[in-house]
Amino acid sequence: MSASRRDFLRGLGRVSAGAPVALAAGVGSALAEAPPVHRWAMVVDVAKCIGCQACTVACIHENRVPDNAFRTFVTTWEVAEGERVSTVMLPRLCNHCETPPCVPVCPVGATFKAADGEVLVDGDACVGCGYCVQACPYDARFIDAETRTADKCTFCTHRLAAGLLPACVETCVGGARIFGDLADPKSTVSRLLKERADDVRVLKPEEKTNPNVFYLGLDPRFAGRVEAVPTLWQPSEPRAGGASHV
Amino acid sequence: MSEITELLSVSRDPAWAPWAVQYFFLIGLSYGSFVLSLPGIAFGVERWRGFGRAALIGALVCGIVAPVALLSDLHQPGRFAEFYVRPAPSSWMAWGAFFIPAYVGALILYGLAALAPDFAAAATSGGPLAPLRRLIGGPARPGLVRALGLVTLAAAFTVALYTGVEVMVVRARPLWNTALLPWQFAATALAGSIGLTLILARTVFDAGSGEDRLGNRLLLVALALVAALGAAWFALATLSPNGAEGRAFAQVAGSPVWRVSAMWLAAAVAVPTAIALVKPVGSGWATGLLALNAAWMFRWTIFVGGQELPKTGAGLYRHPLALGPDGLLGIVGTAGLWLAVLIALATLLNRSGAVEGRRSSTVVEGA
Repeated sequence: MSASRRDFLRGLGRVSAGAPVALAAGVGSALAEAPPVHRWAMVVDVAKCIGCQACTVACIHENRVPDNAFRTFVTTWEVAEGERVSTVMLPRLCNHCETPPCVPVCPVGATFKAADGEVLVDGDACVGCGYCVQACPYDARFIDAETRTADKCTFCTHRLAAGLLPACVETCVGGARIFGDLADPKSTVSRLLKERADDVRVLKPEEKTNPNVFYLGLDPRFAGRVEAVPTLWQPSEPRAGGASHV
Repeated sequence: MSEITELLSVSRDPAWAPWAVQYFFLIGLSYGSFVLSLPGIAFGVERWRGFGRAALIGALVCGIVAPVALLSDLHQPGRFAEFYVRPAPSSWMAWGAFFIPAYVGALILYGLAALAPDFAAAATSGGPLAPLRRLIGGPARPGLVRALGLVTLAAAFTVALYTGVEVMVVRARPLWNTALLPWQFAATALAGSIGLTLILARTVFDAGSGEDRLGNRLLLVALALVAALGAAWFALATLSPNGAEGRAFAQVAGSPVWRVSAMWLAAAVAVPTAIALVKPVGSGWATGLLALNAAWMFRWTIFVGGQELPKTGAGLYRHPLALGPDGLLGIVGTAGLWLAVLIALATLLNRSGAVEGRRSSTVVEGA
């Protein structure tokens, strides 16, 4: 059992009993108003990511992500420096920001920050206006082509409520994704952020969103919009609906 | 020196489809046309009489159709009720949900009051529409028209404000996140409104050289404002690379696609300016259509072009225009609805390009 999983399970005793019920009923405000118990966060050790996209696939299966859309994805670059050519992988997902720009723009309050730190969407209230999609600096949101509502990573909040890790963490082959509770100073994520403080980065720090997804060993050139040669991907075919192409 | 090549990434489709462009285009034309109607309709300025009438028709038609485009963008129009059931004051869009009906409602009341004598006059010609014309027709009420005009003006200001700021506050899109954007929306809306009024004055009211001359003069001022704002944007972008405009410019500088867009925008301002200067009378069709092109093209570039700029990835997202409701059909459908409302209104007014339009009682005499 990995350290991440061990301390995650240890902290589960503190899960608010009302949270799963509230989520099942689609009552987002109940989550938002619940007393904070955890501060969920993810640490991504970039050096351990092998770019296998197992996390991408696991997320799609776990969350029934619609065709041509992604809640998480591993962006991959080739970096040529003289004779040396290397590959850089960067797992991306919603950063569950402490000051999420997607929340204040939502005209109906459907997007909210839950008490444990997840940024969630109340699908019953969402009107599909797409304003939150525009406001997210990380391109982490999209409009579900079937439901016509905003969709994004939830940190697998339904799994957390059941005492499980997010699907992408559970499936990560190299152990690159480490999930835990920043409210617990003894958790692996807390310890990693403390021990490797000089090596910790967040994406687009200039946006001042205070992400709860942290990266270890991330080359600063890849922390924002990457100046690169666009190559392999292009939209393959026009589709009805609003989801994404690869 | 290193070279980075993107191997795997995700392309996001635009969350705001061409419906949004149509909405911002039409609501801009509406509030711009409404403002143009005020001198002739609400304040009785003789020289603006015919121009004001055409502007009022444009404001009404665009004001009625614009919210339909907005609702269509929600894909389930009944969702609009959520805006009123659970409004979130932190969102400019939430405020817009209140500003739009306030503006459109006030505009319709203003239009009905201003056009009441015309409906009454048209009712005398008989026909199946006579009862309806009599119902909405009535005597001239200068004080009421002026009062409603001022109320609508306040509401129009809120619409112009929210449509600009709503987009401007999106920090994640540098192209949108500049303080000049609301002013650019307003200036291009005004230019487009003048263009629309020039065309409606010719088609609905068979206007003469006076409307052409006035419209082209106004258009020169509006286009000069658009050009000045564009020049200010470019100056700020180059002088302050770390500022908002500088960040925006950095995203598009060097892109051949954006170079074409910039040239198109420049031409959309320069060509009608040249025509209006060289031939101020008899060119209303051309300058009108070109001004409309400038207003529409600016919004298309900002919204669709802006969403083609990846927030994290390299290059551009490519979004070929879909042919269905989320693309071309949506645009054509909106245009069709616009035409239908115009025909309905012109029919109620008993207008089909009649010369007597310029002698109508719409204008408040002595107001």
